[in-house]
Amino acid sequence: MRSNSTAALMALALSSATAIFQAGPAFAEEPQKGGTLRILGSAEVDRFDTIPPATSDAVNFQRAVWRQLISFAASADQAEQVKAVGDLAEDVPAPTNNGLTYTFKLRQGAMWNAPGGARQITAEDIERGFKRMCNPAIGSPHLTYFENLIVGLADYCAGFAKVEPKVEPMKAYIEANDITGIETPSADVVTFNLKTPANDFIYLLSLATAAPAPVEVLNYMPDSPEYRANFISNGPYTIESYVPDSMLRLVRNPAWKPETDPLRKAYVDAIEIVAGVQADAAMQQLQSGDGDMLYDHSIPPASAQMLIAQGDEKMSTVTTGRTRFVWINTVSSNNGGALKNVKVRQALSYAMDKAAIVQQLGGPTFAKPLNGIFPPNVIGYHEFDLYPSKDAKGDAEKAKALLAEAGYPNGLKLKMPYRNIGSDPALAQTIQESLKKAGFEIEISPVPPADFYPRLITNFSNAQNGVWDLVPAGWSPDWPGGAAGSIFLPQYSYNGTHGTFNFSDYNSDRANELAAKASATTDAEESVKLWQQVDEAVMADAPTVPLVAVYTMLYHGPAVRNFLPYAPGGQGDWTNVWLSR
Amino acid sequence: MTAPATDTAPAVVQRGSFELTLRRLLRDKAGLLALAFILLLVAFALGAGVVEAWTGHSAFEQYRDTGLTPTGMPVGPGAEFLFGTDGLGRDVMVRLAYGARTSLTIGLLASVLASFIGVSIGLVAGYFGGWADIVLGRTMDLVMSIPVLLCALALVSVFGPSVILSVAVIVFFSWTTIGRVIRGQVISLRQRDFVQASRSLGAGPFSIMIIDILPNLSVPIIVYTTMMIPNGIVFEATLSFLGLGIVPPAPSWGGMLAEAASNSIYLVAWWLIMIPGAILLIATLSFNILGDALRDALDPSGRPARKRRKASKP
Repeated sequence: MRSNSTAALMALALSSATAIFQAGPAFAEEPQKGGTLRILGSAEVDRFDTIPPATSDAVNFQRAVWRQLISFAASADQAEQVKAVGDLAEDVPAPTNNGLTYTFKLRQGAMWNAPGGARQITAEDIERGFKRMCNPAIGSPHLTYFENLIVGLADYCAGFAKVEPKVEPMKAYIEANDITGIETPSADVVTFNLKTPANDFIYLLSLATAAPAPVEVLNYMPDSPEYRANFISNGPYTIESYVPDSMLRLVRNPAWKPETDPLRKAYVDAIEIVAGVQADAAMQQLQSGDGDMLYDHSIPPASAQMLIAQGDEKMSTVTTGRTRFVWINTVSSNNGGALKNVKVRQALSYAMDKAAIVQQLGGPTFAKPLNGIFPPNVIGYHEFDLYPSKDAKGDAEKAKALLAEAGYPNGLKLKMPYRNIGSDPALAQTIQESLKKAGFEIEISPVPPADFYPRLITNFSNAQNGVWDLVPAGWSPDWPGGAAGSIFLPQYSYNGTHGTFNFSDYNSDRANELAAKASATTDAEESVKLWQQVDEAVMADAPTVPLVAVYTMLYHGPAVRNFLPYAPGGQGDWTNVWLSR
Repeated sequence: MTAPATDTAPAVVQRGSFELTLRRLLRDKAGLLALAFILLLVAFALGAGVVEAWTGHSAFEQYRDTGLTPTGMPVGPGAEFLFGTDGLGRDVMVRLAYGARTSLTIGLLASVLASFIGVSIGLVAGYFGGWADIVLGRTMDLVMSIPVLLCALALVSVFGPSVILSVAVIVFFSWTTIGRVIRGQVISLRQRDFVQASRSLGAGPFSIMIIDILPNLSVPIIVYTTMMIPNGIVFEATLSFLGLGIVPPAPSWGGMLAEAASNSIYLVAWWLIMIPGAILLIATLSFNILGDALRDALDPSGRPARKRRKASKP
């Protein structure tokens, strides 16, 4: 699950990306090959391996070095950006066996850059990738999605969990055991058998964690220094050199053939990802042409405003799947358990001035008020507002009335910690001020970013002990397009064991039932309708107050051409830009 | 030194010394200017409510229609907002006034507390010597060897930011300087005849320390306490700048600077850096100059004062 559990994760966690305006003289010129693309970031690429949890920024790196069965095209067209297409798979198959079986034919000529020379990627490599997912050393953060779907994966993982987390025993287990639900009838065919029909299975296969693994990697611990030193790429680029916390340099992968890859043009000869650059400095380098693109920086709103004011055509906006909302703690007994009362939560929903949040984030170019759990571009999003107010400015009167009805005519005192970074302090104060009008006295407190999610918010005992009443949070779906499940399941469903990102064990049987139907149906339209009902069912209980869907501004240096957003990475696609210097 | 004053007729000589001090102080133009600015600042801080009433803007209210552009950018200095607005559409002038309250309160409180602790410990260590001196002296060394900011950050992240913690941190790290000075002075003073005389008359250590020694320390105490005020103000600003001092939305100078620096907003709103930055600079400079002037005025044996006295004699 891509929560925003670290600062970096939060930085540029985007999903479905849409160019609102895509400008530049790119289309007039003839694409040219060559050159070195310089990418500037504050943090370095944190993972080279496909399995361990990585920041969402690393998705752009993975795009350059890894290929998996399914991926997305880099495109200026909104619909095309989120359309799953075959990458290593020749095409996207329709499921058979009542939606339970998916059979993929592998693209011939797609090679590993193996130490003994280029080698064809086989069905067995695909299965090996899935086997590594639940290795006992560092597992995949997306495992639960697959474990619930693929026949036999849960059993396979249960057995793997007992293995000692060392190279030899792990290698032996992977070689000796098979996942019953993944069949490899021949070297170029792989079949997945699912427990239940799932219309988002195809999207799941676009995650880096579902990438194939060459047999050599079994000789190393996941993402260990040995793994990194013996890196085997199957994408257009591979690692040439790596200086920790400083620079990662990618060069062409000799084993990659352009004719086998419909998604990546790979114009540039090399890509340098430079770490340790501050946002301001990075923007200046981009403007002067010393840098080409940003890695994990989002453009500071003030810089963005200046660029817009100057009419800089290298600026573009993307709609992201990223949302901001306020979680309400319904498990603590603070204020006599006031927040357990749905009327109080609805009062909070009515009181929230979403227009102020939009303004604070830079106006309608940067954000849009959100009234449900699904953002635009994610299946299930629709215009509705159960707690309407004029111009989304909040209805303090209605909120006060509800609060009085609930037995708190004199208002309520609530605690709201916030992440002390970027625009979060300003947002927290905006929320505080907007709720004040309705009689809520919000006591805000800054929390160091590194502590916020790991120590404070995802620690369930803090919720139970009433350390917080409200908390501003954010979420990005794990894949673009049909990602409703990756928003609903981790956050708004509860199966008896506490989920990390369902901060106060919210559960709605009706929503769960609808969501199960929505995931299972093969009728796309019905699925959309059902997800919309899920959204409304959840919002009726008001477990969170949705604030805004965030658009992200993208910027690039003057030499960059063909800057097309790659939706999962929320950035221009490194493998499709070319340079004109 | 006022030591000779206690020996002879105290009432007359002490008045003369005060007069002399005052005359020396009045001759120091920089010191007077600094004093004037400090008085102005105090008036500004005390009159924060008046500023609020006069502008009609509260320090917390976000003027989203008049104080921010539709794209959330602050409004520059103008008729409605004399010093402009901040990133949340709040009046910078009103916040500056309330921030002055915070800064001055913390600066004063912290320096008075620190000098109280420093003087007490310095007195005890210097007077008793021996084990007391070793233990207290090494404690001072220990405190001085702690990396201030690192420790402050750690403390604040454990206990959470608050005014009381800010003051405590500032006090904890600033009492040692004055403590050392006092200890040194006391070591030399306790050998003096008037202390011996007091002791032979049967005075206890407590009475000697308070009645005989302490008045002789008034100069370093006044000077060092004044000099500690700007340190306190800057330290508070530093903590708030790092988001570890005053909890927003309560205004403080350091917090205002931090808000200006975050999100590069200073690129479009120079007044968010220049105004609080300038006032912070002038305030700390004033306290430092005043401290200097006080030292010169109170201590006729100090070099600059003697030079001036010589110059004014002919």
